Amino acid sequence: MSLDHYLIADEPYYRQTGDEIALFEAAHAERMPMMLKGPTGCGKTRFVEHVAWRLKKPLVTIACHEDMTASDLVGRFLLDADGTVWQDGPLTQAVRHGGICYLDEIVEARQDTTVVIHTLTDERRFLPLEKKNELVTAHPDFQLMISYNPGYQSVLKDLKESTKQRFAALDFGYPAINIEAEIIANEGNVDAELATKLVSIAVRSRNLKGHGLDEGASTRMLIHAARLVRNGISLKDACQVAVVLPITDDPDMRDALTSAIAACA
Amino acid sequence: MHKDVDSGFEEVAGATGDEAPNGPDGRLSDWQRACRMLEQAGYGHAVTNTYRSHGKLIADIVGYDAAAALAETVSSAAIKAGTAAAARLPEAALTAARRSGDTQNYHSWVNTVHRLCAHAPESLAAVLERTDELLRQLDAAQFDAWVLAGLRSAGSDASRRQRFFTLEDEEASRWLHREAGDVTFNDVDRRLKAYLTALWHLRAPTRESSRADRSLMQHRSSFSGGVIRVPASFPSYRGQEAQDIFRACMAHIGAHFMFSSERFPVGELRPVQVALVSLIEDARVEHLAMRQFPGLRELWSPFHTAGASGALTAPSLFARLARALFDPDLEQDNGWVQKGRNMFLEHQSEWHSPEISRRIGGLLGNDLGQMRVQFNSKTYQPDPPYRDDNNGLWNFEDGQQPEEQVEETISESVQMSNREDDDHPDREQLDDDVRSDTPVNRARPREPEEGNEGIPVARYGEYDYVIGRERPGWTTIVEYQPEPGRAGNISAILERNAETVNRLSAIVKSACVSRPERIKRQHEGETLDIDACIGSVIDRRRGDTPDPRVYLRTARRQRDLSVLVLLDISQSTADRVLGTTSTVLDLECQAIAMLAEAMAGMGDPFAIAAFCSDKRDDVHYVRIKDFNAPYDGAAKASLAGLKSGLSTRMGAAMRHAATDLGSCMTHRRLLLVITDGEPSDIDIADPRYLVDDARAAAQRISQEGTDVFCVGLGSGVSSNLDRIFGRRNVVQIDRVERLPERLPQLYLRLTT
Repeated sequence: MSLDHYLIADEPYYRQTGDEIALFEAAHAERMPMMLKGPTGCGKTRFVEHVAWRLKKPLVTIACHEDMTASDLVGRFLLDADGTVWQDGPLTQAVRHGGICYLDEIVEARQDTTVVIHTLTDERRFLPLEKKNELVTAHPDFQLMISYNPGYQSVLKDLKESTKQRFAALDFGYPAINIEAEIIANEGNVDAELATKLVSIAVRSRNLKGHGLDEGASTRMLIHAARLVRNGISLKDACQVAVVLPITDDPDMRDALTSAIAACA
Repeated sequence: MHKDVDSGFEEVAGATGDEAPNGPDGRLSDWQRACRMLEQAGYGHAVTNTYRSHGKLIADIVGYDAAAALAETVSSAAIKAGTAAAARLPEAALTAARRSGDTQNYHSWVNTVHRLCAHAPESLAAVLERTDELLRQLDAAQFDAWVLAGLRSAGSDASRRQRFFTLEDEEASRWLHREAGDVTFNDVDRRLKAYLTALWHLRAPTRESSRADRSLMQHRSSFSGGVIRVPASFPSYRGQEAQDIFRACMAHIGAHFMFSSERFPVGELRPVQVALVSLIEDARVEHLAMRQFPGLRELWSPFHTAGASGALTAPSLFARLARALFDPDLEQDNGWVQKGRNMFLEHQSEWHSPEISRRIGGLLGNDLGQMRVQFNSKTYQPDPPYRDDNNGLWNFEDGQQPEEQVEETISESVQMSNREDDDHPDREQLDDDVRSDTPVNRARPREPEEGNEGIPVARYGEYDYVIGRERPGWTTIVEYQPEPGRAGNISAILERNAETVNRLSAIVKSACVSRPERIKRQHEGETLDIDACIGSVIDRRRGDTPDPRVYLRTARRQRDLSVLVLLDISQSTADRVLGTTSTVLDLECQAIAMLAEAMAGMGDPFAIAAFCSDKRDDVHYVRIKDFNAPYDGAAKASLAGLKSGLSTRMGAAMRHAATDLGSCMTHRRLLLVITDGEPSDIDIADPRYLVDDARAAAQRISQEGTDVFCVGLGSGVSSNLDRIFGRRNVVQIDRVERLPERLPQLYLRLTT
C-alpha cells in the first residue's frame, strides 16, 4: 500500500509572508519535526499543503480532538471473517510509507495520547506498535508536523514540556496589510480596493482582541466575506454574516464591531 | 390619553361638594361622604377646597369611586406629610388622571403616592409638585419603579431621600432616564469603549460627567488628562439616534486623541478665538479621521443641521461654519463662513499639523470682531452636540480655565455618592438610629484600614421583588486586598486536627486515584474485547447476526470540576460559638483550611473569596485564592487575616463570584456559599428584599450552568436559606463547632 492518494495534485495558493518556505525546506532536509504556531485562520494548514505539494510528498492530516486515543493514531485490530486483522492508523501509515504527517490542533488531544509521537521525534525515529508487538522504523521521507494555537485554548490545555521541546517552530501571524489584501484579492477573487477595506475591517476586530474578543477576524473570515461580496451581497451584510456574527455573541461587542465596520466602509 | 375636560370646568369649579353633578345616588353619597370626612378631620380649608374642586374633574375622567377613594390618600398625606403636601395632592391626582387616561393607571399612581406617603413623607410634596414633569416621561408603572428606586437607594436617610425626589441627586435623574427608556451612558459605556478600541486601539477610561462638569456645558462631552467624560444622556435623542450620538461623540474624541497632538497654549487669545480655533481643530481632526474611516462621515453628518443662512449671531455663525467645514460642497450665504471654509480648504496640505487650526481660527476671530458680532463665552456651546467642550485642547494657565477638572481615580468617581454623604455630619447619627430600630441591621462599620483602598471592579443589578425585575447597575463590587495574617495559624489548625486531616486525605486519595476501568463491548475501542470476539465468531458460525460491539476501552473516571468557596465574613461571624472559645469566623477559617487541603489534594481548580457589604455601593469582595494561583503561604496568610465586619449583601457577592467561576472551562462548576445568617444590609429595612434578590441571583447562576450550594451555620435561619437556594441545595450545620470536620466531607459528597 502506498500513500499516493495523499499526494496533492494542484498547487495550493500560498503567499509567502517571510522566508518560511526556505526555513521549512531546510528543516525538511533534516526531517526535523516542525511546529506551526499562530491564530486560527492565518494560513497554517494552507502552508503545510503548499510545502507538501512543493516537495511532492504525501500529506496525512489528522485533526486532533479530545476523545482521540493512541489507537486512533497508531492503529488497532479489527475483526474479519477469519479472525483479527491489524489496521494501521494514519500515523503508522505515514511512518511506514514515508510522508508528512500533520497533527492539526494538537493540544486538543489529551496529553497521554500525544506521548506516542515521542519516539518519532527524536533520534530514534521509530514507532512501537505495542499491541502488535512490532517496531516500525520510520521511512526516510517521514516528517512530523503539528499545529498549535497558543491563544484561544484555556490554560488547562497546553503541550507537555517534553513534547514541546522536540519541535522546531514557525510562528504565523496575520500577514502585513498589503500582503493580506493581496491574499484576499486572490482567494476571494475581488479587486484590491475591496480587499484593502476588508483588511482594515479585520484590523478593527483585531484591536479588540483581549478587550472583549478572544481572537480577531482571521484571514479566512475575510476571504469568506470577500466571496459573499462577489456573489452580490453588500459589504456591510457580508461582514455581518462572515465576521461579526460568527466571532462573538456579546451584544456590546457586536455593536462596537458593526459600528467600526460602518466607519471603514 | 389626554382627555379634554376643560369644557366642563366652569360649571364644576363653581359647585360645592354637596351639589355634585347628577349621578346614581350611591356614588354621589360616597363622594359626599368623602368630602364631609375631610371637612370634619380639620385639615383646613385649603385641603378640602382643592379636593372638592379637583375631585370632580378627576371623577369626570376616572369616575366618582376613584375620586372618593382619593380622600383616604389625601387624609393620610395630611397626617404623615402635613397639610401643605395634602393640599397639593388633588391637583397632582388630576394631572395623573389626565395623563394616564384610564382607571387602572390612575390607581397605580395613587398606590405609588400611598407608598411614598408611608415611606418618604418628607418628599411627598416635592414629587407631587413634579407630577407633570415626571409623568410626561414615565408611565404609571415606570413612575412606580422610579419612586421605588428612590426609596431603595436612600433607605432610611430622610435627607438623602429628599435629595433624590427633588432630583438634586444625580441618581434620581439617572433612574429617571433609565425608567423612561432613554439611552444612558451606562447602557452604552461598554460598547463605546469597544468601539474606540476597535477604531484606533485606544483604551481610555470613560466616565459619566458629574454634575459639577455639567453646570457650564450642558450635555457636552469632555476629555482631559486621558479621561473621557460623557454626559449621562443626550435628552432630545431617543433610541437609535441616541446610540448614534454617543457613538459620534466617542469617534470625535477618538479623533482628537489621534490627531490633536499637543495642547494649545491659551496665551493672549480672546475667548472667541479660543472657540474658533477649537472649531477649526474639530473639523481638522474629523477630516483626518474620515480619510482613514470614510464611513465616519455618515455617522457625523446627521448632526450637522445648520442651514446655509441664518441670524448674524455668534452661535448661528459658528454652527454654520462647523457645517461648512464638515461639508464644503454645501452653498453658504455668509461671506465670513465662506472665507473660513475657503481658507480651510486651501490649506488642505497642512491638515496634518494642528498649527493650521490656530492660524485660521485667529484670523477668523479678528474678522468677527470687526463685524461687531457679540460672543458670549459663558453661554457658548460647541455645535453640533456630539462635539466636546474643547477644554482638553487647551493649556489653561491658572485662573483661566472655566472649570478646573480634578483628576479622578476610578474609585473616586464610583464612590461619588459616598462623598456626598460625608457632607452631612448627622449621617452617622441617622445610621445609628436606624440600626437601633431594626434588628436585621445590626452591623457596624469596620474601622477604615490604612492603605487598603478597595478598587471598584464591577456593578451588578439587584432584583426587586416589588417591581419583579432587576434594577441594573445597582450594586458596586469593591475588591479589597486581603490583609495577610499568619500563615502559621492555618498550619497550626491543620496540625491540631491532624486526625481529621489524615482521615480526609485518605478519603481524598481513594476518591481521586481511580483505577483505570475496562469498558467492555464497545463499538469502538483501543483493543479487541476477546470475550465479545469469541461470541461474535460463534454467532456468525451459527448463521446469526454477530454483535458488532467487540472492542474494549480503558478509561479513567475524570474529575472535571472547579469550585469557588464564598465566605460570609459579616459582623455576625464575630459571635462566639456557644460552648467554645472560637468565633464563627474562626471555625469558618478552620473549615476552609481543611477543605482547601482536600481540594488541593484532589487537584480541582478552586478559588476562595470572602464578602461583606456596607450598603449597595460598597460590597466588599476579598480574593483569598484565585483559580490560577497556587494554594500556598500567601493564600493561607490571607485566610488567617480575615476579620469580621459589616453586613451580608449576598446576591451581589454571588453574582460576582459566579462571573469569576464562569471563566473556568470545566465540565462542572460549583459555587459553595458559607454563611451564618441571611442576607441583610444597613440600607435595607425590608427583610424580604435581599432574600429575594439572593434567590434571583442563585436561580440565575444555576440557569447558567453553575451549581450553587449553601452551608448554613447555626440554627434558626433555615427557612430563608431554603427559600434562596432551594431545600436540596442547603445543608444546615447546627453545631457550628463541627463545621471543620463536616465541610470537607460534604464537599466530597457533593463532587463525587
